[in-house]
Amino acid sequence: MGRRRRLVDPAAEAGAGALPKVIAALSRSLPAGPSPEIFRRAKFDRPEAAPALWQLLFRLLSPRSADGASASLALEAQVCLVKSALRSQGYPRLVLAQLPEDGSRGSRELLLALSWLLARGPLPEQLLAQAHVQLGDEIPVCECEALASPGPRVPHVEAEGPVDIRCVQWLMGRLRFRWRCLIASQQEQCTLLSKLLRRLERENTGLEAALEWRRGELVFWRWMDTVLGACPPEAPAAATQPTFLPRIAERGLGRLELAARELRALQEELCEATGRRRAAWEARVGGQGRGPQWSSARQALQKAVEQELAALRWAWEQDRGPARPHGPHRLVRCEDEAPGGQHLRAAEVIQALRSQEACLEAALRRLQGQCRQELARLAGALPGLIWILPPRC
Amino acid sequence: MSIVTVQLGQCGNQIGFEVFDTLFSDSHSSQGLCSKRENEAYRASCKERFFNEEENGVPIARAVLVDMEPKVINQTLSKAAQSGRWKYGQHAYFCQKQGSGNNWAYGYSVHGPRHEESIMNLIQKEVEKCDSLSGFFIIMSMAGGTGSGIGAFVTQNLQDQYAHSLKMNQIIWPYGTGEVIVQNYNSILTLSHLYRSSDALLVHENDAVHKICAKLMNIKQISFSDINQVLAHQLGSVFQPVYCAEGSFHYRRNPLGIDWQVRPPLSGLPPLGKMPLNKELHFNTSIANLVILRGKDVQSADLEGFKDPALYTSWLHPIHALNVWKTQRAFSKYEKSASLVSNSQFLVKPLDMIVGKAWNMFASKAYLHQYTKFGIEEEDFLDSFTLLEQVVASYYNL
Repeated sequence: MGRRRRLVDPAAEAGAGALPKVIAALSRSLPAGPSPEIFRRAKFDRPEAAPALWQLLFRLLSPRSADGASASLALEAQVCLVKSALRSQGYPRLVLAQLPEDGSRGSRELLLALSWLLARGPLPEQLLAQAHVQLGDEIPVCECEALASPGPRVPHVEAEGPVDIRCVQWLMGRLRFRWRCLIASQQEQCTLLSKLLRRLERENTGLEAALEWRRGELVFWRWMDTVLGACPPEAPAAATQPTFLPRIAERGLGRLELAARELRALQEELCEATGRRRAAWEARVGGQGRGPQWSSARQALQKAVEQELAALRWAWEQDRGPARPHGPHRLVRCEDEAPGGQHLRAAEVIQALRSQEACLEAALRRLQGQCRQELARLAGALPGLIWILPPRC
Repeated sequence: MSIVTVQLGQCGNQIGFEVFDTLFSDSHSSQGLCSKRENEAYRASCKERFFNEEENGVPIARAVLVDMEPKVINQTLSKAAQSGRWKYGQHAYFCQKQGSGNNWAYGYSVHGPRHEESIMNLIQKEVEKCDSLSGFFIIMSMAGGTGSGIGAFVTQNLQDQYAHSLKMNQIIWPYGTGEVIVQNYNSILTLSHLYRSSDALLVHENDAVHKICAKLMNIKQISFSDINQVLAHQLGSVFQPVYCAEGSFHYRRNPLGIDWQVRPPLSGLPPLGKMPLNKELHFNTSIANLVILRGKDVQSADLEGFKDPALYTSWLHPIHALNVWKTQRAFSKYEKSASLVSNSQFLVKPLDMIVGKAWNMFASKAYLHQYTKFGIEEEDFLDSFTLLEQVVASYYNL
C-alpha cells in the first residue's frame, strides 16, 4: 500500500493533541464521519468500532444518488456493497473480504481500507465538490433553457368615453390580486435565501475541515504506520491474488471493434480517393511541367498547399483545444489573468456559441435548400398536380 | 407554492380526506399520457402544494383538522394513516369532547373565541413548514352549526392575521330539502361573513352532486362517501398542476391564482366530462370563466364556444374574462377531462331562494333566541340580509 507524504511544517504536528484534532477534522470533512474515539478503538481492532466504519465506507463508496435511500439499507447489505466496491477498485488485502457479513468485526482492517482510499485520491475534496451548493451562478453551455414567461396580458381599457364603474372595480380587484402575489413571491424569496445561507454555512464548515485535515495530514499517516504495524502478517497466498479489474461490458467491446472497422474503411476510402485524384491530375498535366518555368510554379504551388494544410491543422487544433465548452460552467469574477486548464473566458464561450450558431444556420439553409429541391423534383414528377412551394424565407 | 387546508366540522373533514386522497392517488398514478420527466414534475409540483415531505416517512398533508367532537376527526386521521401512502400530521388537529348542537351562534361567538389561540397556533405551525405560502383553502359546510360558525370565525381571523395571503373557502350548499330547520339562517350568516373576509367562495351544491351520482354515475344507494368522492374529483381536477404558459414546461406556481376579478364571487362547478357546447339562447352571464383541460389532444381543443361575448358581461371583453389552463398530463386516469370554474349568475336563483326563506322566518322571529342567546343580534341578521340582497342585485344586473 502506498502512501502519500506531504511536506508539512514539523512544528504543526507537535503536541499530543494534534492527532485527535486531525482525525476530527477528517471526520468533519467526510459524510457520516465517526468520532476520533472510534478511530482509536479501531487501531486496537475493537469490535464496537466496526459498524461505524462499515457505514462510513458505505457512504464513501455507494453511488451519489443512493444518498437518500442508503440510510435504510441494513448493515449486512452495506457490508456486502463495501466489500464488492473495494474489490472492484483493486483493494489488495484479502483479510477484508473474509470479514463476517454482520459487520461485527474487523475495525482495524476497515481503518486500513479507509486510509487506502484516502491515499489514492483527494477524497474529502471530491466529496465536497459533489455536495456543492448550487447558487445559480452557473451558465450551462450547449444547453437551452426556456426563458421565464412574461406576465399575463395587461388589459387595455379605452380612456375616452364613459367607463362602466364595474370595469374600474374589476381593475382594482386585479391590481390587488397581483399585489398579493408579489408579496407572496417576496416572502418565498426570503425563506429560500435563508435556506441557502444555512446550506452555505454547512458547506463552509466542510471546507474548513478539509483544509485543517490537509494541514495536519502527516500526523495521521505516521499513526497509520503504527496501525499497519499492529496487524498480523498476511498469508503469503495473498500476494498471488490478482487484482480484480472491472471488465469492459461485452457490448462496449463490440462497439469499439465496430468503430475501429469503420475508421479503417474510411481510411481506405480516403487513400483511394486521393490516389484517383492524383492520377487524374498527373494525366492532365502529363508531359508538361518538366521545364525550368514549371519548377518555380511548382514551388509556389507547394508552398501554397503547405500553408493551407498548416491552416487546416491549426483550425483542427483549435477545435480540439482542451477548453472545449460542454456542460455547465460556473461564472466567476477573476481579478488575475490566470489561464487554467479548466477555465474558460467569457469571450471564448461567446465565440464558441457564435460559431455554433453560424454552423447551425448554415446547416439549416442547406437543409432548406435540399427540401426545396426535393419538392421541385416531386412537382415535376406529377404533372397533373399543382404544387405551391413555400416562399423563400 | 403551498396551500394550507383547514378542514372544519364533519363536512369539512370528510371532504378534506377525500380531496387529499384524490390528489395523492392522481399524482402517483402511472404516467398519464405524458413523458416520465413531465410526470415527475407534475408529482413534485403536487407534492409541494399539498404535502410535506419528511425524511423517511410518508408524505404528510398540509392540513389542520378542526371539529368540536372527536369522532369524525379520529375516523379521518385513522383512515389516512391506514392507507399507508400519506397521512395527516400527528398533532395537526383540534377537537373538543362534545359538539355544539348545530348552533351557528355558539360556534361563532363561543367556540371560536375560546379556542382561537389553539386553532391559530396549529395553522401557524403548518404555515411555517411551507417554503412559500400560496394561501389557505378552507373546507366547510354553509348551513351546519359547528363547521359554519367556527368556519366564519376562523376565516375572519385568517383575514386579520394573514392579510396578504389568498383565502378560498369551499362551501357546501345544503340540500334544498335539508333536515336542519335553521339551515337558512345559518346559510345567510355564513355567506355574509365569508363575503367580507374571504377572497373566493367555491360552491358545491349537494343537490347538483347528488344528481351526478344518480344520473351520470348510476349509483343506487348514494352515500355521503359517494358525494364526497365526486366533490374531491372535481376539486382535484382544478387544483392539480397546470402549465403556466402555452408550450412551456413549468407548472404554474400559484395554484390559488384563480383571478376571480370581482370581489368576492360566488361560483359553481358544473359536472365533468367532455364539455358539451350547448347552443342555448339564454346563458347565465359570467363575469369570469376558467376552463381547465387535462389529457389527450389538449393543445388542439376547440374553445371558441367559450369566447362568445353573449356569455359575458357587456363591460368585459371575453379575452379578459376567459382563462384557459391546460396540461397534457391526464387526471385520475381519465383520458380527457375538463373542468369549468365559473363566476356567474349560476347561483343567483338558489341564493335568492335561501334569502327569501330566511327572511320569512326572520319576519316571524322564529328560532331567533338560539342566536341572540349567544350574541348574534337582530342587527347582525339585518346586516347579512342587506349584504346578500346587494350581491344578488349586482349579479342580476350583470
